[in-house]
Amino acid sequence: MTAAALPVERHGDSLWRRALRKFRRDRVGMLALLVVGSYAVIAAGVMLGWWATGWAEISGPKWAPVSAEHWLGTNIIGQDIFSRAIYSTRTAFEVGLVVAIGATLVGAVLGALAGFYSATWVDEIVIWLMGVLDSVPFILLVAAIAYSLQDSPWSMHIAMIVTFWIGTARLVRGEVIKLKGLEFVESAHAIGLNRLSIIFRHILPNTFHILLVQATISFVAAIKSEVILSFLGLGVKDGMSWGLMISESTFEVLAGYFNNFIAASVLMFGLVMAFNMFSDALQDALDPRTVKSP
Amino acid sequence: MPRTEAQPLLQVSDLHKHFPVSQGWLRRRQALRAVNGVSLEIAAGETLGLVGESGCGKSTLGRAILQLQKPTSGEVRLAGQALQGLSARELKHARRNMQVIFQDPFASLSPRRTVAQIIREPLDVHRIGTAAERRARVEELLAVVGMRSNALNRYPHEFSGGQRQRIGIARALALEPDFIVADEPVSALDVSVQSQVLNLLGKLKAERGIAFLFISHDLAVIQHVSDQIAVMYLGRIVEQAPAMELYRSPQHPYTKALMSAIPVPDPARRISRIALQGEVPSPLNPPSGCAFRNRCPLATEVCARQVPELEIFSASDAGVHQVACHHPD
Repeated sequence: MTAAALPVERHGDSLWRRALRKFRRDRVGMLALLVVGSYAVIAAGVMLGWWATGWAEISGPKWAPVSAEHWLGTNIIGQDIFSRAIYSTRTAFEVGLVVAIGATLVGAVLGALAGFYSATWVDEIVIWLMGVLDSVPFILLVAAIAYSLQDSPWSMHIAMIVTFWIGTARLVRGEVIKLKGLEFVESAHAIGLNRLSIIFRHILPNTFHILLVQATISFVAAIKSEVILSFLGLGVKDGMSWGLMISESTFEVLAGYFNNFIAASVLMFGLVMAFNMFSDALQDALDPRTVKSP
Repeated sequence: MPRTEAQPLLQVSDLHKHFPVSQGWLRRRQALRAVNGVSLEIAAGETLGLVGESGCGKSTLGRAILQLQKPTSGEVRLAGQALQGLSARELKHARRNMQVIFQDPFASLSPRRTVAQIIREPLDVHRIGTAAERRARVEELLAVVGMRSNALNRYPHEFSGGQRQRIGIARALALEPDFIVADEPVSALDVSVQSQVLNLLGKLKAERGIAFLFISHDLAVIQHVSDQIAVMYLGRIVEQAPAMELYRSPQHPYTKALMSAIPVPDPARRISRIALQGEVPSPLNPPSGCAFRNRCPLATEVCARQVPELEIFSASDAGVHQVACHHPD
């Protein structure tokens, strides 16, 4: 009876596998994933020292034009712009991944606790914390944290995690308040499971679709913020990033040389755009309400 | 468990469950009396049917008995053990003996776990048996509720409502409880599937001697499954009697009105319907005295003054017939 009514259904199909099949049919999403994947391969290559190792060397005259030797020309002191742009991909991924994972973990745990213990002091504290952190303008808060942790290479990451968990926590809190009233949670109480197990084994796994989408959103936000912070001198200290490239290009743009600026902007635009489209497709695939006919 | 006539399996005395409600910005605290002084007993292996309109507190009563919602006051004893004031560990142990079946088979199973994981979980939580024994037990339970073992590695969304309800029943049986609260277990199912699930519950009662508190608003279903029936109105039990007795001679005017609403499958027979006037009053602001008086055809001045107690009306071999009314026939 069930099999006849749902022909596409396969036995033992988890919600994840269903979402995966839905995602595979989404052409835009797959294309976006391909682009993000290429960036990831580039970043991994940089990390393993396969390419862009000469990003810091002065390898030519200043402001050399595009050539076979310097694919995107050189900057104001004669460094190869192409290697620098490629090397910056690694920085973008490092910042994106660390912040996305950190902010999602913190947001998930605090959001779940606040939701499960809603209308108690636990909830009050979390909501108060979110309100306080939210009421400070983002750039100011990040700048303050980055300044106060100036010696640490992680100050930028910490600053972003501290601000980005809030959005995730709000969504998770709402979802948990909805889920904790459902009967499968009551049934977990009835079989004698303790509260923490109920939160982490029964409730949180049912918010994974939110967490995954929020993680991709945090990833994009982190890359964009990194560019702004590095431009302001609060971000990457040693190494290279698209933000630093844009920052150093200010003099060049005044002199009429746009290569540095365009290279960093286009690469960042490509990654952010692809990641946003990937995030959208992921959201569609994970949402059980948007069932498209096969 | 040996059946002792002297001591019923479940004893509930003067149970209250009130919810604090604040109204308006001045926050006047009020208590919503969802369960307002309920006493009942269920003998081992018996089914007590609990009927009442939506919002009369019957589900809250079930949850308060199971300590899923902490009762405001009153006492619940299961197999002689008081469930109030137990430590977390003691309560966890007591839960082995009392389980619950829920109304909504789509909300009662976690969507991200397989059927095997769902049915196994009670055994895992209470550390019963080895891994192999647990696996065998899960398959056995699945067979008991009439499902094939190819369901084990599938997810709840792959099943129909009736099948999901069977999975929920298998989970409730895993700990071999003596007492199960069945909270509207068939209300969300198609009529054709309802009878299958009811027959399954009947079989469990007969073969395993499980006592049920069977909550429903469907009088036909209640009549089919119950040994005793309790009628609930606005947080109180207004009449309780052996099933046959209640259908033969209802005493409380509310019960009479409910009975007269049961459709009779005989076009030639005319029955007089009692149509109640008005709405169920808000449990935030119930009428003084008898809560039913504003809709009752028999209400007099005494009903406004005095809350009628549940008193014995008659007794027979099947049990006692109790009614809470100032004007029984």
